[in-house]
Amino acid sequence: MRLATLLILVVLTFGCTQPSSQRQLTLAVVSGVEGEALKQAAIDYETQTGVHINIAQFPYQNLFEKELIDLNARTGAYDLIMLDDPWFPLFAGSQFLTDLTPLLQKRGQSGPDADFVATSVAVCRQPYETGALHALPYVGNSQLFFYRQDLFAKHNLKEPATWNDVLSAAKTIQETETAEGGGKMYGYVMRAAQGNAAVADFMPIFWAFGAEMFDQNGKPVVNSPEGIEALQFMLELGKYSPPGYASFNADEVSAHLLQGTAAMSINWPAWISAFSDPSKSKVLGKIQFATLPGARKAGQAEIGNWLIAIPRHSQNVEAAMDFLLWATSAEQMKRSALRGNPPTRRSLFGDPELVAKFPAYPVQLRSLESSRPRPRTPKWNEIENAFGIFLSKANSGELSPADAMNQANAEIEKILQRAQ
Amino acid sequence: MKRTRIFRTGWLVLALVAALAPVYWMLTISLKTEVDQFAIPPKWFSFTPTLQHYTDAFVTRSFGQYLLTSAIVAVVSTFFALLIGTLAAYALTRFRLPWNLDHKLSLWILSTRMFPAIVTAVPLFLMMRDLRLLNTKLALIIVYTAFNLPFVVWMMRGFFAEVPRDLEEAALVDGDSRLGALVRVVLPLVSPGLAATAVFCLIVSWNEFLFALVLTQTDAAMTLPVGIAGRVTQYEIKWGVMSAAGVVAMMPILVFALAMQRYLVRGLSLGAVKG
Amino acid sequence: MPRSRRFSSALNRRELLLPYLLVAPALVVLLALSIYPLLYSITISLQQETPAGVVWTLGHFKRLASDNFFRTAMVHTFVFAAAALTCEFLLGLGLALLLNQQIRGRGLFRASLLVPMMLPTVVVGVVWRLMLNPNFGAINGTLKQVGINTESLTWTASPRLAFLAVIAVDVWQWTPFVFLVLLAGLQAIPQEPYEAALIDGSSRWQTFRHVTLPLLKPAILIVLLLRTMDLLRVFDQIFILTEGGPGFATEMISLYIYRAAFRFFDFGYAAAMSFVLLAVTNVVSVVYIRLLQAKA
Repeated sequence: MRLATLLILVVLTFGCTQPSSQRQLTLAVVSGVEGEALKQAAIDYETQTGVHINIAQFPYQNLFEKELIDLNARTGAYDLIMLDDPWFPLFAGSQFLTDLTPLLQKRGQSGPDADFVATSVAVCRQPYETGALHALPYVGNSQLFFYRQDLFAKHNLKEPATWNDVLSAAKTIQETETAEGGGKMYGYVMRAAQGNAAVADFMPIFWAFGAEMFDQNGKPVVNSPEGIEALQFMLELGKYSPPGYASFNADEVSAHLLQGTAAMSINWPAWISAFSDPSKSKVLGKIQFATLPGARKAGQAEIGNWLIAIPRHSQNVEAAMDFLLWATSAEQMKRSALRGNPPTRRSLFGDPELVAKFPAYPVQLRSLESSRPRPRTPKWNEIENAFGIFLSKANSGELSPADAMNQANAEIEKILQRAQ
Repeated sequence: MKRTRIFRTGWLVLALVAALAPVYWMLTISLKTEVDQFAIPPKWFSFTPTLQHYTDAFVTRSFGQYLLTSAIVAVVSTFFALLIGTLAAYALTRFRLPWNLDHKLSLWILSTRMFPAIVTAVPLFLMMRDLRLLNTKLALIIVYTAFNLPFVVWMMRGFFAEVPRDLEEAALVDGDSRLGALVRVVLPLVSPGLAATAVFCLIVSWNEFLFALVLTQTDAAMTLPVGIAGRVTQYEIKWGVMSAAGVVAMMPILVFALAMQRYLVRGLSLGAVKG
Repeated sequence: MPRSRRFSSALNRRELLLPYLLVAPALVVLLALSIYPLLYSITISLQQETPAGVVWTLGHFKRLASDNFFRTAMVHTFVFAAAALTCEFLLGLGLALLLNQQIRGRGLFRASLLVPMMLPTVVVGVVWRLMLNPNFGAINGTLKQVGINTESLTWTASPRLAFLAVIAVDVWQWTPFVFLVLLAGLQAIPQEPYEAALIDGSSRWQTFRHVTLPLLKPAILIVLLLRTMDLLRVFDQIFILTEGGPGFATEMISLYIYRAAFRFFDFGYAAAMSFVLLAVTNVVSVVYIRLLQAKA
């Protein structure tokens, strides 16, 4: 080690020192609508307060890795991080994030603003719902069911209440319709790329069929008969999804919807604004949004909120907290909502100006308030990775649904055992 | 005879097209508007070129900064690798050490180059973390210097061995010191080799990805390959920006590579095959 | 070498130290940044964090034995390396033999072939993502134009095609290297053995088999050694092109180690796996070097 230090001293003469961090904050955000709005807000904040904000913007997967590396290395390179709620148990459980309550108290507040939707604040606490507050919710995503109103009306189809309705509608539409310009029209589009994508799209089906990931004792039970049945259903639906969906991510799904080559999908509300943008959408005014279909159980959406947290090793905790409160205030969140992000405040879901622009808000609020989080375990990223691989394998035809679920269950069991 | 010639030319043209078409395609994507990018059938030749993706990447986004970081890291690390490596190579060719140590050391130095990068990436990340050097150019400079060192030693050993000893002896007799003879007599003779080695180190550092991926998380410290990779995975893929950055990343390399074609085979085979 | 001994004897005492002084900086750098990390890696691979603190254990190595993902990634890496190596060697040798004659435009040809192999690997990944995109990629677009149904050609989305694609990309990038080294080897072969073969009346195949191949063997072994080493540690292009997917279809050992370390933060396990990789590459390189020395 000393040898390395010696070498470093030699090279240091080249002057590669870092700039000092006075009155500046570094913010890690995700690419896409969700991060773009926060980025814009940061620019406004800079002009208002003079605090310089550096933005590090990464795609979903990279953002997770970069943040985890930074948090684990305790470099304090980021003062604020934007994180997806399933990452939260790992980040907060590893003591990587600043406890916000003392900072709130210092500012005369006893806790997070009561205006925040309860399910959104619940995912900011470790343990879930009851524990200490380590983040504030910024984007109130929860899954919605997207479908082509015009095609449904044309074929006399009702808004799907169950997954079987979805399947038969997909069949009808795929067999009779062609896409604009004569291309092939698909009944449904899903994403089943390994990892986050496959799991996110599968969970609502999985839950609706009555399956659960863990039993009361925390043992994995994804290979229950209900679980296998749900996967079988996913493959059935896959027949009406564009070829190659086993490697699709969110961008392919939205491309198919926007190009008018697929009729239904599960998606995040942050994408809604794209459907009314004439430069991107060929389906202006044709997409309708609904809560998720059910099956054996009522449909339940997965919550997918984007949170903002302050790493524990940030050198600028106070300044970061000021920005955090500013960005999640009703006034700023409204601006973010106008840029296309669903809010996390109840008041904004009822804001007349916003509702006029986003008529789906009442549906979204219902979906968000009844949404459920993905299993809250610090091992979620490993579990999601393993589960996603097997889901993807089943969808690409490599494994039968039963084999995929059995192997996934064994793998999840191993991951949990190692954690003990 | 004529038939075999046509047959041969046919194969060569095929190989040429296969080698260049994908790169050309990236170039066209970087110059096309989004509508042309997604056109079916693909537009190989006829499209209206635009530079919007280049300005988007290098003016609006941070690719200009990544480019600068890449250049600084590549140049500084090449300088140190050459300095340290050339001295070692000179010693290992001109002196015979006891117990055949000169030979053994050379082989050992070469063997460190054979480690798969991922094997050292994990501990190097932890070391740099403890030294608080993550997210600095310095960390990359140090790592690339070490990474290129074995290569410099082996290349320069070959070039030194080709210089007749008589010339140095003459200089020594004239009262020059050992280092004086090295600087004034030997180095000028191996300067083409030194230049080729330098270009190789520059290319390797410029192209390196894994260490840079692991050691840098902020815009200020990221190199061009990491910047490109950061834009490529899923979600919202900006094909034009990505291609523009790719084109810019490959340009200096191609210029360099063409400039030192003569030493290419030798460099790529770590000095084992003289092209 | 009497000459060199005379040369050394001319040195005075201070000069005796000189070689050590000249080599020292290089050794220091390599010890600090290659050997020390390796030792560091050994210690973390033998440690595990438990609630009671850090303990020394063989746990990570035991886990290797029952890790199906690890085994699959290993198998993928070897299949990938063997397939790519075979294609690159055969194509490279063929091209070298074709070009080992006076041909017009040879300089241009050589220069063009440099392009793929000098490209940053990340850019290679980008290039091929553009080419292979099922919807608007150049490959499917062109196939469609000549009337081929491309619906099932989803490339990186189907396990089998994705594996073929990552092999093809490596072959595309590195065949030129094999070609260049073998061409250099061919050109270093003197004319005499060929003239002798001509007089013996050997057929072209016999000449190739008994004259060219034996004389080219050192160059062949070197190029195979270097390629094998690179193939076994492949990371960059696949990281960009498929990220190991779909499913686990193109997951290679380096990617799996990366994931264990930087997604799951299990440095100990990653270190344990990297020792297996190191051992494997070591064995392979020793075999090649033995073969190389056998000819001498």
